[in-house]
Amino acid sequence: MMDNAIEIRGLRKAYKGFVLDDVTFSVPRGFIMGLIGPNGAGKTTVIKLIMNLIRREHGEVKVFGLDNLRSEPEIKARIGFVYDVPHFHEDLRLKDIASALAPFYEKWDQGEFLGLLDEFELAPKTVFKKLSHGMKMKFALAVALSHDADLILMDEPTAGLDPVFRFELLERLRAIIQDERKTVLFSSHITSDLERVADFITFIHRGKIVFSSGKDEILESWGVVRAAGEGVRPEDVPGLRGYRQSDYSLDALTSDIASARSRFGEKAVCDKASLEDIMFFISKGEAHA
Amino acid sequence: MLKLLRMEYVVNRRQMLITAAIFSGYFLFMAYKIDSPRVFLVTMSLMIGLAMPFGIIGRESKFKTASLVCSLPVRRTTVVLAKYAVGWIAMGFGLALALLLAAWLPFSKVSVAEILTLKSLSVCLLVVSILFGLIFPFTLRFGLVGIIILLVSSQLLGVVALILAQLLGRGPDPLRTVITGIIKGLRAMLYHEATPDFLMLLAAAILAINAASFFLSKALYACRDL
Repeated sequence: MMDNAIEIRGLRKAYKGFVLDDVTFSVPRGFIMGLIGPNGAGKTTVIKLIMNLIRREHGEVKVFGLDNLRSEPEIKARIGFVYDVPHFHEDLRLKDIASALAPFYEKWDQGEFLGLLDEFELAPKTVFKKLSHGMKMKFALAVALSHDADLILMDEPTAGLDPVFRFELLERLRAIIQDERKTVLFSSHITSDLERVADFITFIHRGKIVFSSGKDEILESWGVVRAAGEGVRPEDVPGLRGYRQSDYSLDALTSDIASARSRFGEKAVCDKASLEDIMFFISKGEAHA
Repeated sequence: MLKLLRMEYVVNRRQMLITAAIFSGYFLFMAYKIDSPRVFLVTMSLMIGLAMPFGIIGRESKFKTASLVCSLPVRRTTVVLAKYAVGWIAMGFGLALALLLAAWLPFSKVSVAEILTLKSLSVCLLVVSILFGLIFPFTLRFGLVGIIILLVSSQLLGVVALILAQLLGRGPDPLRTVITGIIKGLRAMLYHEATPDFLMLLAAAILAINAASFFLSKALYACRDL
């Protein structure tokens, strides 16, 4: 049986105009999971619920096998957390912020922290408010990666970062999980980032989980069926998850590309779907099963 | 808890110096202007009790760092407890500063010896507790907006009371009654004989107010979504 770093069961949280409902998924230890979905899908809400920054109405969150409410301090000591918008005391120098945070973590490694600042080209004496958004994000990452956390939890960490640093960050995440003890869960709507490093993908849309499984399995089995004319109707597509139709063509997303290929043969072009295709059709398609 | 106190010190030390400077200016002025130790005591308590919630929560609210604090490996109850501890430490420093200035300044008209009695200090702590205890839970739950809500609500309540007094005609002015009641209460406490029973009563009131305020804060902070 696979050892899970995070187990979420039946999670619910309602806001005015938005409900996160019956969210269930788990993140296996030693892997990278990408939480994907369009803006407002509920990614940040899920991450905040894991961190107990917002109150859940129903459900259960277990991190390292422990309930995230009952064992809050023990769990958080092992988590490196990065917000979508980093909030630190704006008028403090980076080294002072770190000095305030370091005592909370037994495994805080000042050498590692300074090394990361150096690598990210951040001077320890710089005042936080003088940093750009991308640099603030880098600082938040340096803090999260400096206490040997067993779980790195990040909300949109790559947003606002330049492509070079994004690439480096993703490589770093891949290196982090090499010891098979550390786990990474990060949300993003930049699908290429997830395709590059994620082992598992959880897709969330309008507060509900659409799927949560291995990335390779998804990219192998999901596909886009493209047909011209009226030869193929949406309801004929096996495993239909969403479609776009005009008078002259049909583009349909299927979670069973093999069946679609055997059914349509020459009548339609069946390509493997990218995560971007999946996100597009499920978010903007006319229907999804 | 100690880690949180240390954190508060590290992130707020510059603000503490600025606040101390502003307080010093205010206390200097009051020590020069006021010759009644009782009036000095009450104005000092009002200033400290009103200003501290702003000082402690103000920067956290401004920089939206409550979520940072709550993502650290501590329980929210501990965070609230630390905020109260910081509040009382800061208020202790504020009181000590005011008394030192009043005692040492050559132009001070205040007789500090009259303030430095168990009864006077207890009354001072009671006034501070009432203000701090009332304002702090709202500040902790809603940030600086909480203070504004509280102030606006008080003002609206005052306006409603005035309107009602006007409509009801010759009845007693409710605002005047409340204010007179507060003044009479303070005066009664300040002039009351410092018997052990009275001092015990003050101590119990201080403890009860702080405990009630803490438990309210704890409950409000637990439901705060960050």
